[in-house]
Amino acid sequence: MQIPVPLKVAILTIAATGFYTYVGQLVPQKEVHPPEVVEMSSDLSTADLVEIGEGIMSGKGLCFTCHTVGKSGALRFPDLDGVAIRAGSRRPGYDELTYLAESLYHPDVFIVEGFSAGMPQISKPPIGLTDDEIRAVIAYLQTLGGQATMTMDTVVPFSAAAPDGPLSAASEAVDDGTATGSDEAEVEGAA
Amino acid sequence: MKKSYILIALVVLLAGAGVVSELATFMDGRLAYESPQAIDHEAPTPRELALQEQAAEATKEAQEQPYVEEKYREFPVIGSRVAVWMAAQLHLLFAAFVLAVPIFALIIELIGYKTGDKRYDDLAYEFTKLLSTAFSFTATLGALLTFLLIALYPHFMNYLMHVFSPTFLPYVLLFFLEAVFLYSYYYGWHAFSKRVHLCLGLGLNLVGTAIMFIANAWLTFMMTPAGVAASGARISTWEAVTNYTWMPINIHRMIANVAFGGSVAAAYAAFQFLKAKTPEERAHYDWMGYIGNFVAIAALLPLPFAGYWLASEIYAFSQTMGLTMMGGAFSWLFIIQAILIGNLFLAANYYLWLGMGRIEGAERFRSYIKYLLIVITGCFLVWATPRSILATVDEVQAMGGSSHPALGFLGVMSAKNTAVNILILTTYISFLLYRRSGRIPTVKWAKAGNAVQFAIFALAATTVLFFGIYGYFVEAAVRIKFSVPQVGSVLAAMILVTVIDIFLLRGAKETETRWGQISNTSQYVLIFLAVTFTWLMGLMGYVRSGLRQHWHVYGVIRDTSPDAFTPTLGFATKVVSVTVLIFFAFLGVVFWLASLGGKHGKPEVAVEALDGGDV
Repeated sequence: MQIPVPLKVAILTIAATGFYTYVGQLVPQKEVHPPEVVEMSSDLSTADLVEIGEGIMSGKGLCFTCHTVGKSGALRFPDLDGVAIRAGSRRPGYDELTYLAESLYHPDVFIVEGFSAGMPQISKPPIGLTDDEIRAVIAYLQTLGGQATMTMDTVVPFSAAAPDGPLSAASEAVDDGTATGSDEAEVEGAA
Repeated sequence: MKKSYILIALVVLLAGAGVVSELATFMDGRLAYESPQAIDHEAPTPRELALQEQAAEATKEAQEQPYVEEKYREFPVIGSRVAVWMAAQLHLLFAAFVLAVPIFALIIELIGYKTGDKRYDDLAYEFTKLLSTAFSFTATLGALLTFLLIALYPHFMNYLMHVFSPTFLPYVLLFFLEAVFLYSYYYGWHAFSKRVHLCLGLGLNLVGTAIMFIANAWLTFMMTPAGVAASGARISTWEAVTNYTWMPINIHRMIANVAFGGSVAAAYAAFQFLKAKTPEERAHYDWMGYIGNFVAIAALLPLPFAGYWLASEIYAFSQTMGLTMMGGAFSWLFIIQAILIGNLFLAANYYLWLGMGRIEGAERFRSYIKYLLIVITGCFLVWATPRSILATVDEVQAMGGSSHPALGFLGVMSAKNTAVNILILTTYISFLLYRRSGRIPTVKWAKAGNAVQFAIFALAATTVLFFGIYGYFVEAAVRIKFSVPQVGSVLAAMILVTVIDIFLLRGAKETETRWGQISNTSQYVLIFLAVTFTWLMGLMGYVRSGLRQHWHVYGVIRDTSPDAFTPTLGFATKVVSVTVLIFFAFLGVVFWLASLGGKHGKPEVAVEALDGGDV
């Protein structure tokens, strides 16, 4: 029996479409939901903050889309392993907390040599972390090579609660060439 | 006699009056109207009074309720997002076709006008014949999409109107103009002088392109917003239009539309070829299919470069969005894309190789095909190799990570950029061999010309391979820039070789091309190409839109609807497939209607007349 041409064409169309649908089922299936609001009460302990911070980094903060922990080689963004050790000594006049806070609130101010600019200001949309969420992220970052000291009472520089963040000082340092790690505009981000 | 008529008429009138009065009384009862006397005699019961009070209260409440603007409405069964998704995709597929066909129809008509060869004019007319019905489908689906958006996403649409209202009137006017140009271009084919007709075609293309540019402004704004304050308030509509991805999308879409339109037109020709009864018809539709496919592949070759530009603009706008695309939720989508594009290249090359069978003298190139196939397959496999592999815990431990120790190296951009560039270069060589099959150069410098062409190919391939391998040894910031020399060398090679080839084949000895003498398989390959192009457009439309994730306008207007999540790729591919099948069902109607219009004038082109009708 001769199969009519339109039927053959229809079979081919359905078969090709079916094949591509099948390929679509073979790849990892992940449904990505909007980030949930992180409830943060004032009595959270440092350990709680660290735990929440890690969750934010892999979720709402999208940090691990770019950053790694414990990887080496030709990375596109700084690896965060040991960041707590580097944070206290990377920039003159900056303690660990100020350095980490600046990296998160104003990532374009200081750029680590060898990396490109581009980390978003995570306190603004589309990521839009709250001050307390950034507090938790810093708490987690402090554990990467160091000891978390963040509490809910700590005043985080650059946050709304900070009286006068050292941003102007940081900008001056950039202006006189002492702050950047390279001539190119490259960002360390949260490292 | 007359008196009896009058009597009958009076009886009828009386009866009619009776019926009307009965009806009026019935209606009175329904409206619960009672005359004042009736109220006097029958006082309402306590229950009736309570009911009246209740009704009055309900009326009062209804009058006092405030107007609340709905943010979202739900579409039954499939949900609002899928409804809008499918309507948008169907509209875009038809729009792409309607925008693409006039581009190459005009070029083919111009070739016919310049060369005086009527075959080209007839071919351009036949392509245009497909437009009329497709235009109606485009408009109808566009209206459906608009109504769905207004009905299901009223709040968001209100915001888009706030930003883009100045663009709406020009859009409508241009759409009206497009209808005028399109129908006068089609129906006036044999009515106007050729120059006037070509001007109509040019007008149609310009207006169509302008329409696409305006629509692109709306959708790219949603992805990479500009010209608005952080609150969303409009600062500048012009800045909102000229956002980061506007021009890259304009260019990418224009090229992709031509590739897609060419493939669909080739599928139409293939379908007609398979149904053809006479050698003349087979010859005609074989030629038409070849031209359609040539258009599609010619546009496909530069498409990845336009894609690079678009991707780099996405990164420039937001690294986060760029990484979500390539390294995050959507990274696996690009493996599916690699399979689709690999299939496109394989099928396109296969069609060319099958087509060489109809050209006398093509045998001398047959031995090269196996090498081309090996290279294309190799590139395809590299491109489709993922960086990380889904594996069990034991497998991950054995591999020392989620990447395979050896194959993982093929999953990075250095390898993929190299593969796609070599793939493009190889396909171009296939086309060159096909073109050479029917022609034997007669110029004195033919040998030297061939040697220079070979050297250019070798240089381009070496450049691509060098930067591909070198990319593994440098930092990411340096590596990203390597795509420029890779792409540049391939583009330069294609342009230079084409220029040399044009001069090399001037006055060449031409052999016979036996149009119509090609296997049916080749025609099914053309249909497969059209399905794959369509599916690919659906998939890439999904990723472009999906990149916004839970935002209507990225970082500005958040999606708070129940659909504000990114579905699995499996789900997305199912929606794409259903949409593609609906599109082809609609396309079947378009083809059928187009074939009805042509029943009076079957192709008169004789087989011999098509000899050398090549591009």
